[in-house]
Amino acid sequence: MAINKKIIDYIDLRLGIRDLLQKNLTEYLLPRNINIWYSLGAATIALFAVQFITGIFLLIYYIPNTEQAFASVQAIMNEIPYGWLIRYLHAIGANVVVLVLLLHMLSALFMSAYKRPREFTWLFGFLIFMVTLGMCLTGYLLPWSQLSYWATTVATDTMNAVPLIGEPLLQVLRGGSAVGQYTLGRFFALHVMGLPLIFGLLVSAHLFCVRRIGVSRPPFGPDYRPWEPNDEFQHEEYPDGIPFFPNYTAEEVAVIAFFLALTTGITYFAPWIFLPSDAFTPADPFVTPEHIKPEWYFLASYQILKVFPNEFFGILVQGVIITFLLFLPWIDRTHERRPAKRPIFVALFVLGVVGFVGLTIWGHFS
Amino acid sequence: MKNSFLLLLFALLFLFPCAVEAQQDAPASSCIGCHSGMQGRLGEPVEQWQGSIHQENGISCSSCHGGDPTLFTMEAMSPEKGFLGVPSNEEIPEFCGSCHVGVLEDYIKSAHGQALGEGGPQCVICHGNHSVKTATLELINQESCTQCHEYGRAGEIKEALAETDQIILNLEDDIQTLHRIGIATDEMKGKIFSIRNQFHRLFHTVDVQKVRNETEDFQLRLQEVRTQVEEVRSELTDRKVIGAAATALLLLAAVLGWILRRTYKKDEEQGRVRKTKEQVR
Repeated sequence: MAINKKIIDYIDLRLGIRDLLQKNLTEYLLPRNINIWYSLGAATIALFAVQFITGIFLLIYYIPNTEQAFASVQAIMNEIPYGWLIRYLHAIGANVVVLVLLLHMLSALFMSAYKRPREFTWLFGFLIFMVTLGMCLTGYLLPWSQLSYWATTVATDTMNAVPLIGEPLLQVLRGGSAVGQYTLGRFFALHVMGLPLIFGLLVSAHLFCVRRIGVSRPPFGPDYRPWEPNDEFQHEEYPDGIPFFPNYTAEEVAVIAFFLALTTGITYFAPWIFLPSDAFTPADPFVTPEHIKPEWYFLASYQILKVFPNEFFGILVQGVIITFLLFLPWIDRTHERRPAKRPIFVALFVLGVVGFVGLTIWGHFS
Repeated sequence: MKNSFLLLLFALLFLFPCAVEAQQDAPASSCIGCHSGMQGRLGEPVEQWQGSIHQENGISCSSCHGGDPTLFTMEAMSPEKGFLGVPSNEEIPEFCGSCHVGVLEDYIKSAHGQALGEGGPQCVICHGNHSVKTATLELINQESCTQCHEYGRAGEIKEALAETDQIILNLEDDIQTLHRIGIATDEMKGKIFSIRNQFHRLFHTVDVQKVRNETEDFQLRLQEVRTQVEEVRSELTDRKVIGAAATALLLLAAVLGWILRRTYKKDEEQGRVRKTKEQVR
């Protein structure tokens, strides 16, 4: 014990760890009416940590070559000790992370946490979501299964609908006219290095914004007052708030543990929910499976493309929606954040969620 | 800005040569390409073949009829290119037997094979041609068999095959369930495929006694596969026990965290009330 204390004292003297922890944990005060939705950010980070760790383990045995990729994943699943667990946690965790990220964004949207002065926090958060989808798409191809091959073929085919540059864009993305070794090489590089690098930078920027400006006050309760315009930077503080540690950390631990339980539960008892039969058959460019559907989070987008008679309009509509959401803080500039006082916004929000869920279900059964 | 543009240009120049090199053309079958657009007897086979066991296993037109499916001219169907065309009734067993060698051997020796050309049945009478499905015991039925002879002996053979056939079907289902969760089942599938083919070959002898004599050996070989399947299942059960424990522990952590948060909330509330009272005083 005495040795431990000496080591901590030694480090503390040089880095001021105790002071740092005190200022960022016990003395870091959060709004008194903070709710459970605020813990989804921490849950996302925890789940991404699982992705990162399992991803490194998979990288040890995975071979990014069309001749060996499927066999290497089969070996991970069947020959490497606990390889199946690592692979399932990675594949199923990816789905859970998208779910949590979506909920995190929806809660921020509903509570209008994107409004001034938190425009950049929203912008970086939205870009994190897009990069996450990019990581999911690129990761989907790597096992080189029938599902990987054909889902990627269908997904990249949509590039063709982009006027003028569609075909060259598709060639660059695939590295050829069809999905093949060059596509696998590109997607592998993006999945394990390119996108995680961008992701890391975006997460750092997002967390910096959260910490620098301060957590937004939930727009509920009798004490809440809309933000007053200020021309100078102001860190939002809550002198009468609750300590981040241990008070709110307990809630974050509960939420993180819940989502980890969900991930392990599916991993051990129902992995087929996220891994259809074609995920276990090696890719065959000459045999098109009967029912190839994208992952659940792309189903709405897939259905939009099917609904429009022209694929270009489908892409255009999605582009408009994404651009609108990305720049929402600069479009919706009113100061009012209370949902009860924003009926049009709430109606649009509900319509958007119902539309997304409806299109997803439609896409699944279509 | 200029630097960014140059960087993008460099990236595209770097990627494009790969794009050109990597272009692959998927080989297309001229048989399907031309015949799928035809009407009647020239087009029907393509439609019938879709969804057949042959199509599932990548056996296409040229595998049986010969010819060159890479040529999109009439030359694809020339004898020089190995085109065999449509076989006569008598030629059908040789036609199918070019792949199903063992079955042909047993068929030729059987009463069915001996009667070929004298009204005896050949392969497509029972199995159909282009829409051929996985052979099941249902192919032996009163309606089909009584077209030529009494059902009695056929019924006996069906009965003798039934138990083993059911074991094979059950094993196939179980192996498919294992495959569905990522277990490597190729070896087990291969064994079952081989046993199944050899067992079904037995029928073509149309010899009840032979079927009965060899059934035990087939069942022993199937038992070996069953043992393999059970070993995997046992491991899966162990996994589920560990999974249940891990999930339960995480849920417990979630509940404890939630209870702890509730406790802190009560403290926060009490502190707030105390502060308000002090302010009032």
